[in-house]
Amino acid sequence: MEAILISIGLEPIPAKIISMVIICVVVLLAFVTIGGVLTWVERRISGFMQARLGPNRVGPQGVLQWVADGVKLILKEDLIPDGADRKLFAIAPYFCLIGVFGTMVVFPWGKGVIVADLNVGLFYFISITALVVFGVLMAGWSSNNKWSLIGGMRAAAQIVSYEIPVGMGLLVPILISGTLSMGGIMAAQGWLPWDWMVFKSPFTVVSFIIFFIGSLAEANRTPFDLPEAESELVSGYCTEYTGFRYAVFFLSEWANLFVMGGLTTAVFLGGGNLPGVLEDYTILSILVFLAKVSVIIFVVIWLRWTLPRFRIDQLMDMSWKYLLPGAFIAFLGQAIYMLLTQHLPIVQSVVAVIMFLVFVFVLIRFIIRVRVNIREQRIPVNSPASDVL
Amino acid sequence: MGAYFQNIKNGFKSAFEGMSISFATMFVRKETVQYPEVNISTNKTIAEKYKGTLMGMPANSRGILDVNLSLCTACQICQKACPIDCIVIDNVKCDKTKLEDEVGNPVLNRFTQKEALKTRTVTRFDINAAKCMYCGLCAMACPTTAIRHTNRFEMNTESQEALILKFVSEEEKARAEKKANDIEAEAAAKKAKAAKEEKVKEKGAEE
Repeated sequence: MEAILISIGLEPIPAKIISMVIICVVVLLAFVTIGGVLTWVERRISGFMQARLGPNRVGPQGVLQWVADGVKLILKEDLIPDGADRKLFAIAPYFCLIGVFGTMVVFPWGKGVIVADLNVGLFYFISITALVVFGVLMAGWSSNNKWSLIGGMRAAAQIVSYEIPVGMGLLVPILISGTLSMGGIMAAQGWLPWDWMVFKSPFTVVSFIIFFIGSLAEANRTPFDLPEAESELVSGYCTEYTGFRYAVFFLSEWANLFVMGGLTTAVFLGGGNLPGVLEDYTILSILVFLAKVSVIIFVVIWLRWTLPRFRIDQLMDMSWKYLLPGAFIAFLGQAIYMLLTQHLPIVQSVVAVIMFLVFVFVLIRFIIRVRVNIREQRIPVNSPASDVL
Repeated sequence: MGAYFQNIKNGFKSAFEGMSISFATMFVRKETVQYPEVNISTNKTIAEKYKGTLMGMPANSRGILDVNLSLCTACQICQKACPIDCIVIDNVKCDKTKLEDEVGNPVLNRFTQKEALKTRTVTRFDINAAKCMYCGLCAMACPTTAIRHTNRFEMNTESQEALILKFVSEEEKARAEKKANDIEAEAAAKKAKAAKEEKVKEKGAEE
């Protein structure tokens, strides 16, 4: 991009600035589209899981629903409640947006497709997403509303508590790859499932589960969506928001879902790694990455419509009594395991294959259960007992 | 300590089972009926599967008004009964006829129990369904039950004009007006003739 602009006859510095602006706009548009489409995906999947259809009117199968929603929200009046802290109220949604959008700098779209492969990439990732909690807390504080305030406070408590298990969970892959850069962590994994970070040892499995649960909580997803618990707090920190600012909150929430899926994929699920023969096809690598991300997103949405919401004390219990000790044990265990097997790569690969086989076994068990449940749900309600048995 | 690990085990077990149930639901039938496109009262598959009642509205419900013009005597009582003036009737003269129902029995006036006579016919019978408040006063006042409420309530239209129900078509109106003109012309001719005869008679008497 920069080279093209210089070849037209621009000076190097303006060319750099213009190319940066163009890249920013492109990434922002991609980001908005992803966030928007995810709202539709989520509503559609939730509909299917509740034996409904979900939005299917705007465009084929309702794919343009998010455009209609966005236009509606933008055309709405921008209300600021009486007694609100106007400056904080106005700026809060953009903190959320920046917190999520900032992660795009180190977002590993595929092998070598990354805006800036910082050597502290993972650290940057965790730090910049912490801006979201500022936004949420500001929104809750400035709304002059009890529900908003409680929502904001809960968000702060929740994110502070879950940062620790998430950070500890990420320490295990860092231990294995020996680097904090996204590219380095991806390079430490292969394209085969047993080369992925998850299946390297029993301890990585534990750390993956802990990281996954923790990042669910950090993204304010159900079952950890206490900051906006509808049944208790109306809509939590965004109770008083309308129009464009509300849209920004929601955009950042769903984009956060994508970002979270991306981080999980890059760190634990092999990112966009391809077999050696296909290594030159960057597009293929991006597609592999996106496919893995969509699986993670599906699982997150699926969890949302399966599990009920936690109570606040259960939430804290979960973080401090279960996830944190688990993360410590996983970290220590992995360190000891690596120390013991550092000269025995064959043992490491055998353990990895065994972990993968355990996963396959669990998956098969799961498919059997799903089949049983499908059979049970096919039976009409109110049918006589003889039909059920 | 045992309870601690039991909790973890239970958490994973219940999440596993719960996720299998919600995943299974994705592939089982959708219960949504796409209402305006699917007619729930005539769709057979719904009628077979549905366990509640599909009877629809009760018989005495007051839905959109309907007029049976073969029973209407153009008396305009309904127009006067309507508290919000949503009924508009224009009428012209017609042949004096006794009203009959489909079978051929004479129709009686509900209030006087005499045979209903039709001396005028409507050229315009408009009901503004958007204004109508479904009070039922017109149907109560009608002597021949020509105007009555149906059970119908689905009336989405694209404009308010489409909500003005017109019961007399343009051709019928033209025909009725032509007929009325004929009757009047005939009556005028009769009158003229009668007057002439009178004059002739008077002349004869004078002579």
